[in-house]
Amino acid sequence: MAKHYRCPMCRKICAEHLDLARHYLGQTDKKHKEWLKTQGLSYAALIKAQVTEFGNKGYQALADVLKKTAAEVEI
Amino acid sequence: MKEYSIIGKPTPNVDGPAKVTGEAAYTIDMTLPNMLYGKLLRSPYPHANILSIDTSKAEELPGVKAIITGKDTPGGKWGLWRRFRELSDQQALATDKVRFIGDPVAAVAATTEEIAEKALDLIEVEYEPLPAVFDPIEAIKDDAPMVHEDFPSNINATRHIEWGDVDKGFAEADYVREDRFVLEAAHPCAMEVHNSLASYDKGTGRLTVWTSTGSPYFVQQNLAEALKLREGDIRVIKPHVGGHYGGKNSTMPDAVNAAILSMKTGRPVKIVYNRDEEFTTTEHRTAQNMALKIGLKKDGTIVAFEVKTMTNGGAYTGLGATTLYLTGTFITMPYKIPNYRYDGVRTYTNIVWGTSIRGFGAVPAKYCSETQLDRAAKDLGIDPLEIRRKNAVIPGYEAPGQYKFESCGIQPCIEKMAVRVKEKWPKLEKDEGIGYCAFAYMSGGIFNWIDTPYAYSSAHVKVNWDGTVDLYSQAADVGQGHNTVAAMICAEELGIGIEDIRLHMGDTAHAYTDLGAWGSRETLMNGNAIKDAAAQVKQKLIDIARLKLGENIAYDLVAKNKRIFLELRPERGLSYYDLVKDAIRANDGVPLTGTGHYTPHNKGMISPAYGMGIMAMKAKVDRETGHVTVQDVLVVHDSGQIINPLGARGQVEGSIHMGLGYGLCEEMPMDQGMLLNPEFVDYKILRTRDMPEIEILDVPTYEPNGPFGAKEAAEATIAPAAPCVANAVYQATGAEFYSNVLKPEKVLKAIREAEKKQKASKATGK
Repeated sequence: MAKHYRCPMCRKICAEHLDLARHYLGQTDKKHKEWLKTQGLSYAALIKAQVTEFGNKGYQALADVLKKTAAEVEI
Repeated sequence: MKEYSIIGKPTPNVDGPAKVTGEAAYTIDMTLPNMLYGKLLRSPYPHANILSIDTSKAEELPGVKAIITGKDTPGGKWGLWRRFRELSDQQALATDKVRFIGDPVAAVAATTEEIAEKALDLIEVEYEPLPAVFDPIEAIKDDAPMVHEDFPSNINATRHIEWGDVDKGFAEADYVREDRFVLEAAHPCAMEVHNSLASYDKGTGRLTVWTSTGSPYFVQQNLAEALKLREGDIRVIKPHVGGHYGGKNSTMPDAVNAAILSMKTGRPVKIVYNRDEEFTTTEHRTAQNMALKIGLKKDGTIVAFEVKTMTNGGAYTGLGATTLYLTGTFITMPYKIPNYRYDGVRTYTNIVWGTSIRGFGAVPAKYCSETQLDRAAKDLGIDPLEIRRKNAVIPGYEAPGQYKFESCGIQPCIEKMAVRVKEKWPKLEKDEGIGYCAFAYMSGGIFNWIDTPYAYSSAHVKVNWDGTVDLYSQAADVGQGHNTVAAMICAEELGIGIEDIRLHMGDTAHAYTDLGAWGSRETLMNGNAIKDAAAQVKQKLIDIARLKLGENIAYDLVAKNKRIFLELRPERGLSYYDLVKDAIRANDGVPLTGTGHYTPHNKGMISPAYGMGIMAMKAKVDRETGHVTVQDVLVVHDSGQIINPLGARGQVEGSIHMGLGYGLCEEMPMDQGMLLNPEFVDYKILRTRDMPEIEILDVPTYEPNGPFGAKEAAEATIAPAAPCVANAVYQATGAEFYSNVLKPEKVLKAIREAEKKQKASKATGK
């Protein structure tokens, strides 16, 4: 059994918060984008950070939020 | 390599006689009795609300038979990214607002083209102009105008690829450099413009569309969505196509509006774009901004690579989102990269949209990565060919979770190149340089964003009493010579001649599905389906021959030279033609048939196979004018087992022509969304006399996933052309380029900067 984390908006489960953030920002539907606003994040700002600066800045910013919000699942 | 009867022999194009005598029918040549001519009224604004459209004056014009606006269309949206329904964003005519200069707002059908054009002038449209956005960096800002309401910050698609530990890789590198590039758009410039002829039968409710396309199946699917009809009620026929180059994958408003007008009038309707419309409203190679960071060891081994891309997507999706993905893939090939990260975003903007033009993804990607690699090599004091050899992949190399090379001749290609360059260009004159670029490209895409429920490719073979063979497939010859390749594969498998094959291609009513001509997919994917279909028929003939010959069952029978015989005793055999008669008689008089299918499985995310190689270009720079003369091109190419060397050579030459245009002269300057050079007077493409000599050497390999060991054979060679030029100029002068299109003024400026840099370096002793 290992700890995994569930996407707040769909059934996706990932072993790392960073992977969950990658999944999250890859979704194009409104539901995923709207939830970011409730967390004080901007979808566009996260994408911009990810694609204009070297490193994983956009994903890391979201992963930090998911660490506090994503439900844990034992698999 | 195995010796075949037909495969690997230079074979003239089966369509050649019809094409050179003018007998070949293209959509643009076609007329039907009672046919009307359609024209589209287009937006003069890049972004505007449509307040009203008044067609009353136009309707009164004698000869006008129908006028439609957005409200008269069935309202279905379509696109090629059907798996993500929100990206099906094209529509027949704009309803609420226009999104680029050229977005159609009304369509007319009239008895002549002239009347239809005149009617367009009489339609009054009231617009409310909106703020527009033309640049991807502006488009992504929070306060940017929204091109599509459901897409905040105009983010159309994103793509992330990552393997290894990139940050650790950079930490371990001895040398790290970052470069930023701006790549220009380019137009495919097909001789035959987009055009379609639609005929709707009100009695049966069925629609037939002839269109200049690379995929009859894509058009059939998209028409069904746009018109809210069943796919089965739509027949799409692709006649000869006068050039595709990736610009004819999407279903465009010509096909959809011709269909709607035909449904409205009950008469056939044809819409032909003029050259201005072709340039300003059809798809082009995407402009993009790229940032690259590479980390190497002192010996030139790549240890980490990171790429960031923003593409100027334009108003709709097309296959542009696929381009975004492939950019992130092809930029890594054909090198061993242990740690890699890619992030791409495609933005909606108020310009005509970019898509899947020849070598899509690879062309801008290779320009950036291969010019960067030359600079890194120079800084590290490593020969540019050696750094490529050192990092080139080997058979069996796998990029984790992405792709795997099975046949892989890049190392022998580079070795052969090293030998040939020394022989061919033993000494360089002043201001001459040699530029290199290694490359690889897919043999059809595995990805299924079109969401087809069918096999990726299919073919049906029917053998008649007289031994002639009818070959049916939706596969598309778009000028690349696939009809010839298809006939060769079928004939080789059956052991007969090409003259025995009759082709029935590119018609959705005649054959099972094939996804069309894009991403160099037809030879491998359709070739496998054809080989499968022909093999089924061959087995039936072999079974009859075995019965008649009564030989030891352990002996193998083969089909070759119009006979079926014992492989080890060729004199013991029977005529193919006689066996066909016997087999049909034994089959209760039913002609022999076989149906083959191909869908790749467990072949990674990209493609089942990759063509690859290395290109070298010798160029001379005029330091006074900045003019670059490409003197000579050398390509060493691994294309697996080449099916038709004559066709492959033509395609390689065509690819290099297009690639050189991207590197030297082709550009699409825009002002507030308006293209400034929408005619061949101003849009510069290379002419025959501008082309250098091209020498092509092959390194044959056997690709286990391809028919007879074949794989991609030419599209790969478009991508290396432009970086080869830039690298040749760099080697000759030290001038560095961070964008394509090396016009003399740009070259001069870069040379001056290089000279300044060299002077400063001398002064500081660094």
